[in-house]
Amino acid sequence: MGTRLSAEDMLDPFTYQIIRHRLFRIVDEAVITLKQVSGSATTNEGHDLMVSLYRADGALLMGGVGFLHHITSAAEACKAIIRRFEGDIDAGDVFLLNDPYTAALHTSDVYLIAPIHHANTLVAWCACFVHVNDIGAMNPGGFSPDSRDIFTEGFSSPGLKLVCRGEMRRDVLDTILNMVRAPGMVALDLRSLIACTNVARERMLALIDRYGSAVVDKVGRALIDRSEELFRARLAELPDGTFKARQYLDVDGATYRVVLEMTKAGDRLTFDFTGSSAQSEYGVNCTYWAAWGALMAPLYPLLCFDITWNEGIIRAVEMIAPPSTIVNCTRPAPVSIATVGAVEAVNNVSLACIAKLLSASETHADESTAVWHGSHLTNYLFGINQRGVDFIGSTTEAFGGAGGARRFADGVDVGGEIPNPISRIANVETNEARYPIRYLFRRRMADSGGPGRWRGGTGGEYAYVLHDAPDGEIGFVLSGKGIEYPMGHGINGGYPGSPARAILVEGRGSDDATATTLEEIAGVQRPIRWGLHRIGRDDTLYIRWNGGGGYGDPLDREPERVRTDIVGLTVSLETARDIYGVDIDAAGAVDVAATGRRRDAMRTHRRATEAAE
Amino acid sequence: MSRLLSQRVEIRDGEHGSTAHCRDCGHDLGPVSQPWKRAAALRERPLREMAAIYTTDERLLLREFACPGCGGLLDTEIALPGDPFLEDSLAP
Repeated sequence: MGTRLSAEDMLDPFTYQIIRHRLFRIVDEAVITLKQVSGSATTNEGHDLMVSLYRADGALLMGGVGFLHHITSAAEACKAIIRRFEGDIDAGDVFLLNDPYTAALHTSDVYLIAPIHHANTLVAWCACFVHVNDIGAMNPGGFSPDSRDIFTEGFSSPGLKLVCRGEMRRDVLDTILNMVRAPGMVALDLRSLIACTNVARERMLALIDRYGSAVVDKVGRALIDRSEELFRARLAELPDGTFKARQYLDVDGATYRVVLEMTKAGDRLTFDFTGSSAQSEYGVNCTYWAAWGALMAPLYPLLCFDITWNEGIIRAVEMIAPPSTIVNCTRPAPVSIATVGAVEAVNNVSLACIAKLLSASETHADESTAVWHGSHLTNYLFGINQRGVDFIGSTTEAFGGAGGARRFADGVDVGGEIPNPISRIANVETNEARYPIRYLFRRRMADSGGPGRWRGGTGGEYAYVLHDAPDGEIGFVLSGKGIEYPMGHGINGGYPGSPARAILVEGRGSDDATATTLEEIAGVQRPIRWGLHRIGRDDTLYIRWNGGGGYGDPLDREPERVRTDIVGLTVSLETARDIYGVDIDAAGAVDVAATGRRRDAMRTHRRATEAAE
Repeated sequence: MSRLLSQRVEIRDGEHGSTAHCRDCGHDLGPVSQPWKRAAALRERPLREMAAIYTTDERLLLREFACPGCGGLLDTEIALPGDPFLEDSLAP
């Protein structure tokens, strides 16, 4: 062990930076541990996870990666555990919390929260989550579109002790596993979270042993103060103003609005959701803490990409979310679809308003972006797999995403999403090995990227049929939105990315299922949107996901870029002509003269339209 | 002095008040006391008319706010009928 530093030496810049980086690496290593222990596709492939460190009072110390809306909500989870278990928090304990009305986002996102003690003193917390494969809700897989209240959304705890002084409480674990459909996978998920907290605890203790608890604590406080200082300074560089955004949610024929007015004044941001729809009978609602986490998710990467994510940032932000609305529902309203419902809509409007604020600054305009992806059309499969075993799981395409366009570049095709910078999707072959299905195709979706001077990243499309399914059918639960209303909105004149679609093509008959496009799939197309469905031997399931929003006027796009998109099958000839105003000649080259004439005519037509008022 | 409201619209502050302008051609979009979108050329049509891939609710509208001077697209919105314009503003 090296020389121990006194607390007075703490602000030595080298020690400060070393401890800051060690804290970051602790989170990183805990994430790696979580992934190595978990066997779930949602965790390993989709990266539907989060790990962060918190101070002894629950304040965010070091935000991690994964779904960023959990970073802030888990701080509230730590505080809820502190309140509930005061006097009964010991070294080696691990607590579980998944009640959305206490802090979690929905019941299937299970938080494990572990205190970290040094010399019998509570010095920090590690909180983490994964989306478990089942939580015993009305519908399999955690998303429960048929639920109409929280009571039918599965097991829900405002806090319980799962591990007591290093020993698993078998009675508690067995009770949880007795209430879920996939106990083996859920047990593995819970153990992956415990392993994650164990690594975080061990590394934190090693850090404190090296530098002393007083120094680590003072660096923690200094890090938070520094983040607040830097974030407020960044806000002060941006213009004061009010920026607005709106998203629509389509749910089984009903329409809901999430409306945001974001005001930036001096070194503060206020997010006001007044005007959003009343809470829904469906589980697309989100609770107060979920909305709070969701609005912060795009703020971290867009405004704080070079600032340590901690409590200091949160101090400069305020949220107004009227009670009993879709962004602050009242118990027992259902919330199981929240993370792909109101939470995602809050992500999007928060991103849109922050992007507008950045666009109003020449210095920061390159950090601005159209909305990425916008919507998870979540699909959980269940049934008997090719090995004769019960299964529940996702094929993870919902995490594929689509990048929003920026001032200097197109959005990244199938480029993920801002609220989860590390999301990705499983290989087709991985899914086929896991589930009794065979893909017909999976590819980028032409014309799905929102047109603009810079094009939004494409979403994707895929189709699969049953393969080696012992029961001759499997079930699936479809939830999420973005079908009737695109959610990847454009910016600065860019158009929205395309909407999602889900189609069950029935009655393939003797066809051997070799189609390579939706149009080639034999049978009758039945659009589906929501709820519980089945794929039989003669059926094909086709799903398309949202594209990212475009940036700027499509008529300002360099014609050669449009031609390249046509060659790459990301833009059709029709869209090139009708939206980008680009003519391609018989040899496949840009017809420069015709393009100039077409674009002039389109601009003239625009000018000829009447003023809005 | 001019300030950006977006990458497409700027606010010019003068002795007689502040006015909004197209950043490309400088066209006057009116005083900031009323939102610039009301002075823009507005084309409003069902989004599904834009391209085949927009298989959306038939009520959903695409609003295209263009500069009456140069025809450049200043902003877009999607909206259901009757929903207000998304009107951003800078503090005075």
